[in-house]
Amino acid sequence: MISVEAVTKSFGNPPSEVIRGVSFAVKDGEFASLTGKSGSGKSTLLYIVSTLDAPTTGSVIIDGLNVSEMAPRELHEFRNRNMGFVFQFHYLLPEFTALENVLMPARKAGIMAEKREYAEHLLEKFDLKGKMGSRPGQLSGGQAQRVAIARALLMRPKYIFADEPTGSLDSTNAGIVMDIFKRINKEEKCTIIYVTHDPDFAKLAKRRISLVDGALA
Amino acid sequence: MIFIAIRQLLARRRQTILTLLGVAFGTMGFIVISGMMLGQREYLLDQLVNADAHVKISAKSDVIRAMTFDGILNRGDENFIWRIPPSGRKGNEQITSPTRWQKLLKNDPDVTAISPQLTARAIYQRGNMRESGKLVGIIPAAHTKVSNIARYVTQGSLADLTEGGNKVIIGEGLRAYLGCRVSENIFISNGGAPQPFKVVGVFQTGNKAQDDAQAFAYLTTTQRFNSTPGRVSDIGIRITNLDLATEKAALLMRSGDIKAQSWQEASAGFLSIFKLQDIIRYSVSGAILIVAAFGIYNILNIVISQKKREIAILRSIGFENRDILVIFMSQGAIIGFFGGLAGMLIGFLMCLQLSTVEIVNPLRGSAAEKLTVSFAIGNYTFAFALAFISTMLASFLPARAAGKLTPIDTIREQA
Repeated sequence: MISVEAVTKSFGNPPSEVIRGVSFAVKDGEFASLTGKSGSGKSTLLYIVSTLDAPTTGSVIIDGLNVSEMAPRELHEFRNRNMGFVFQFHYLLPEFTALENVLMPARKAGIMAEKREYAEHLLEKFDLKGKMGSRPGQLSGGQAQRVAIARALLMRPKYIFADEPTGSLDSTNAGIVMDIFKRINKEEKCTIIYVTHDPDFAKLAKRRISLVDGALA
Repeated sequence: MIFIAIRQLLARRRQTILTLLGVAFGTMGFIVISGMMLGQREYLLDQLVNADAHVKISAKSDVIRAMTFDGILNRGDENFIWRIPPSGRKGNEQITSPTRWQKLLKNDPDVTAISPQLTARAIYQRGNMRESGKLVGIIPAAHTKVSNIARYVTQGSLADLTEGGNKVIIGEGLRAYLGCRVSENIFISNGGAPQPFKVVGVFQTGNKAQDDAQAFAYLTTTQRFNSTPGRVSDIGIRITNLDLATEKAALLMRSGDIKAQSWQEASAGFLSIFKLQDIIRYSVSGAILIVAAFGIYNILNIVISQKKREIAILRSIGFENRDILVIFMSQGAIIGFFGGLAGMLIGFLMCLQLSTVEIVNPLRGSAAEKLTVSFAIGNYTFAFALAFISTMLASFLPARAAGKLTPIDTIREQA
């Protein structure tokens, strides 16, 4: 479970508050969207919740652990084992094949051999069986994003955080990606929090967290 | 991490090869420059060290001052004032008790060989041609152990100088001036009546002063010629560790009434040239390697700025700052290692090629000599270490900057 308690985030000097005292909780297995207009602070909030960024005040507690109190190494390992990230751009490493990119979290954890079969299974599941040996430059935008999702799922994380995962895709590929998320949530019981400004995709979530000017609507 | 580093290097093959070549050329530059300079130094040192003794002891001469006679002309408690203070030099042309010195030196564990010599002034004459110079009396068997002069005997042999009969080996310049040939006679005098000497050989060291005015004869022959039987003016000494020649000379001077000069003191001018050569060698090679290191620094900086997104994703999937640092430092290390190795190989091949170049010394009529190139292992290891360390240093700053990148900063930047 993720618990966000009175989180604020300020930038600049003089400080400008972009997240203002936000508190909410996301239960295990929830499929939640973070929505709001451009500049409402939804991406910033996602990064704070996903431990990529630290709040100015307040705290984020995941599975009973206050992430701001975790040592950097502990936090890196926690991310590696429990979290998967999908961004608007796929951010695949261009020097590596699709399969190698998917296996990247396992490479860090030193469990490559153990995860190889599962990585192949994920790529097959996402209709990328014939693309395992392809480099990102040889993949379409939709295919690359699916590889990025497979990478996020490799360690069977408890949480998936996605920032505008369909933002750079055409409507067909965007639909495919959202279907995958729904399927993962259903089959793997994985908690998914995703940011979107598309009302249609926001509607797919069982729970909607809306932000207006950095505060919950 | 190394796997990622290698993949990234292979992905930008051309850039990697160019950077690697930069390091390789820097390393090669050092090896070739050092090989040539040290080779030349070895050659010169061989000339300086082996052409004469490591340490040469000779008679001591002091400047005479008023206090020189204290305790000699007066008692310790008497004071006297000179009306005209004494001046001049006190000294001998010969080593007093040379037999004692020879015995002493033969028992010295640092000394491997000694060569007693007598240097006499001489006027060489043949027909109307006259040339002044010096006649050096040696014992050939002893002298060859101390000096490599035998190597420069172009006609005849040092062994042809025997105790009986007046035989000389003369410098090539002197031979040409006198217009004589081997087995012909010349006349040598030292102020008295000229004595006939048979030329049994010719030497040519390349040192004009020596070649034009010097001759060697057997020690006793020279003593007889000089009317100074038993006299020895110098003793050439070869020691076990030639680097300690100066210390040995100082030690010998303290132990007796003689003057001792090491080969370093005799060749101080050359040794200061060697120091200058070192400065040039390190400066030139350092400059080449700095350029190569800057190349790596720039390329890694560009690569890191291009790879910010990938770094961000690696960080988000659990890679730590240290991991990112290792990825980019490894790239520098790989380039440094293989660039250094390639540089050593190219440098070695170039040195090998250079060592076949023939050089003709116009002052020496002898055949062309091969260029002396040093293949000292120290050159290669130093060049490799220099290349490796400089690439590591050049990679450290960009790698550290990459390690400090947080995923969120990059993602915000890209958004």
